[in-house]
Amino acid sequence: MTEIRWHSRAGQGAVSGAKGLGDVVATTGKEVQAFALYGSAKRGAALRAYNRIADEQIFNHAKFMYPDFVLVIDPALAMTDDITMNDKESTKYIITSHLSKEELIDAIPALKGKEDRVYVVDCVQISLDTIKRSMPNSPMLGAFVKISGMFELDYFLENMKRVLKKFPQKIIDANMEAITRAYNEVK
Amino acid sequence: MQDIKLRANENRGIHQLESGNDLVGWNEVTQGSILPSFEGNANNIAHLKAEERSYSNHNSYTATVASWRVRKPVFNIDVCIDCQNCWVWCPDSSILSRDKQMLGIDYDHCKGCEVCVEVCPTNPKSLLMFNEHEELGTALSQWPEKKKKEKN
Amino acid sequence: MAEKYDLNEREVWDGNFAASQAMRQAKVDVMAAYPITPSTPIVENYGAYVANGYVDGEFVMVESEHAAMSACVGASAAGGRVATATSSQGFALMVEVLYQASGMRLPIVLNVVNRALASPLNVRGDHGDMYLGRDSGWIQFGAFNAQESYDLALCAFKVAENHSVRLPTMVHQDGFITSHTAQNVYPLTDKAVDDFLGDIKPVDDMLDFSRPVTYGAQTEEDWHFEHKAKQHKALMDSRTVIDEVFEEFAKVSGRKYNRVESYDMEDAEVAIVGLGTTVETARVAAKELRKEGIKAGVVAIRCFRPFPFDLVRDALENVKAVAVTDRSSPGGAMGAFFNEVSAALYSTPKRPLVTNFIYGLGGRDFSIEEAKRIFKEQKAHADAGHITTDIQQFSGLRGPKLGYFQTKRG
Repeated sequence: MTEIRWHSRAGQGAVSGAKGLGDVVATTGKEVQAFALYGSAKRGAALRAYNRIADEQIFNHAKFMYPDFVLVIDPALAMTDDITMNDKESTKYIITSHLSKEELIDAIPALKGKEDRVYVVDCVQISLDTIKRSMPNSPMLGAFVKISGMFELDYFLENMKRVLKKFPQKIIDANMEAITRAYNEVK
Repeated sequence: MQDIKLRANENRGIHQLESGNDLVGWNEVTQGSILPSFEGNANNIAHLKAEERSYSNHNSYTATVASWRVRKPVFNIDVCIDCQNCWVWCPDSSILSRDKQMLGIDYDHCKGCEVCVEVCPTNPKSLLMFNEHEELGTALSQWPEKKKKEKN
Repeated sequence: MAEKYDLNEREVWDGNFAASQAMRQAKVDVMAAYPITPSTPIVENYGAYVANGYVDGEFVMVESEHAAMSACVGASAAGGRVATATSSQGFALMVEVLYQASGMRLPIVLNVVNRALASPLNVRGDHGDMYLGRDSGWIQFGAFNAQESYDLALCAFKVAENHSVRLPTMVHQDGFITSHTAQNVYPLTDKAVDDFLGDIKPVDDMLDFSRPVTYGAQTEEDWHFEHKAKQHKALMDSRTVIDEVFEEFAKVSGRKYNRVESYDMEDAEVAIVGLGTTVETARVAAKELRKEGIKAGVVAIRCFRPFPFDLVRDALENVKAVAVTDRSSPGGAMGAFFNEVSAALYSTPKRPLVTNFIYGLGGRDFSIEEAKRIFKEQKAHADAGHITTDIQQFSGLRGPKLGYFQTKRG
């Protein structure tokens, strides 16, 4: 069982990101779960989304988890939210920030001692460059593909095209570029 | 002159509402207390006259509330102008009329409310209230004369 | 003729989307709805399917949930296949008309995405609304995940419209935990659903001009009791039809449902009895505890109404201690579900020790760890031979421990 926790703000696409990831993972024959805690949350409110990935049907419906991956797609939330909650010694962090990894860890004391498991990528800037608006979910998926090693990039891109098929070609292309850039830039 | 079975099907008013004779067990009541109005195919029912329709036992046509009445309206055809006022106002559809011609009263369903008498515009009225036990002939023989306009 | 909707053999759908696809494939004729969180996407999606030509149906916009169910009553009495969805306050407003629908024996399907009742206002899942429908005369199915919200919605039409049943049917799923959680769902093809359901065969339909009928008769003390008894009998007798439909559905889908589901119960000493997603979380806990030597099992109610009194008894009579979980504020009593399970167990020879947990109100998380703790407490009761805690306790509640009533046995 692989468990993923997304830290995001309402409107940044963590829910779509989690569902898109679930959709692609399911094509590999695995069982997935993608959910979020929101409902009456307004745009900008902090929210968490979750993924579970397993070989067997997933029965656990609790939001409680010991995450294998923590994906933070809002730079400020990395500082204010409890992103290391219930983590494990192997939990990997992928954090959106314009800061370098060293600067970021200096700013977030909870990450001290976890340097080898922290990865940084500026999903906000990448999405501004490619999708032309702050939509950090797609780039985060690219970074996740790289860090998790769960898929080949090409396989993931092909399947994301299917997930995004209801959008105009221009938007699909921009998302593919965003995913690819983050895949290459995450450190 | 006025037959209380006027224009009536054989089963009009054949059972008393409160007799209790029709009470059946849970196994015999209709599903969902849904009540069919007619026996058999009713496709053409709108084009049939009441006395030609196959009303079912669930239809109020086959029940009578005659016993609820203490006084009854009596209809005098000699005075009536067929204005249909009583037909319009009767709350129990108990004015029998055909081709805009007033025929009489359905005494199976009339409750004696007197609305028909109240709305009758003729002088004297074509409908008047009498005791339930009064014979029609006697009632008609007591019909008042036309009232003269009172001088101021 | 409706447009073809492309489906994959394996989809990743949340419970709402899954239910809305079932509505499309069932070719619902009329959906009258007043959307409310968290069930909104079910009716919203159906509306989009109508607008985009994927289903030849009618979406009726109304001014309240009371009106929504009233319109459903009208459409169903007219003879159509009718469905809607609601939650929480919307469900509460619908309650008056729920009794009308069941009393008139109208096979409406209602997707209920369970959500807590205000006040305080809350949009997340608990079973307060489901409990409100307990005595309404509807059949009530419980789905524990997105796949089941789809499967049971299809079964619901087939049960409800069966001529020996003719009762409205609810399909419950947990708000957010099921409705907004995407999971693998394996849908049937449109053709398979067509073959399984067929067209509705109306009864006493008001659009049958050859047989005009009166709906909504008044019955005072001389008739009312007989009608309600007949209705109750129909609900009790629906058990056989439900079993047959589940059997038939298994042939089509490979997924077999039972009115009571038992997991790891063959040799179980302790059990959790639950409704909704809790069941699946508890199953994981039971499996883990078995590795520690605790013989734990889970009993789940798939069919909340008609209540499977005999099956619950059969499933639990050899267990030593049972925790019955109520996800609804008990309002000054033991949990309603606890009372029903206890009543079933009272007529068994061994009478297991039964305790009541109030949990998960307003969507409060129910974790594997907490399920394990509850199992272990049951084990302690079983070892002591009597209930060692208060009979009613609260699980996952902050603040000083809250509990009520102690056993007189042991």
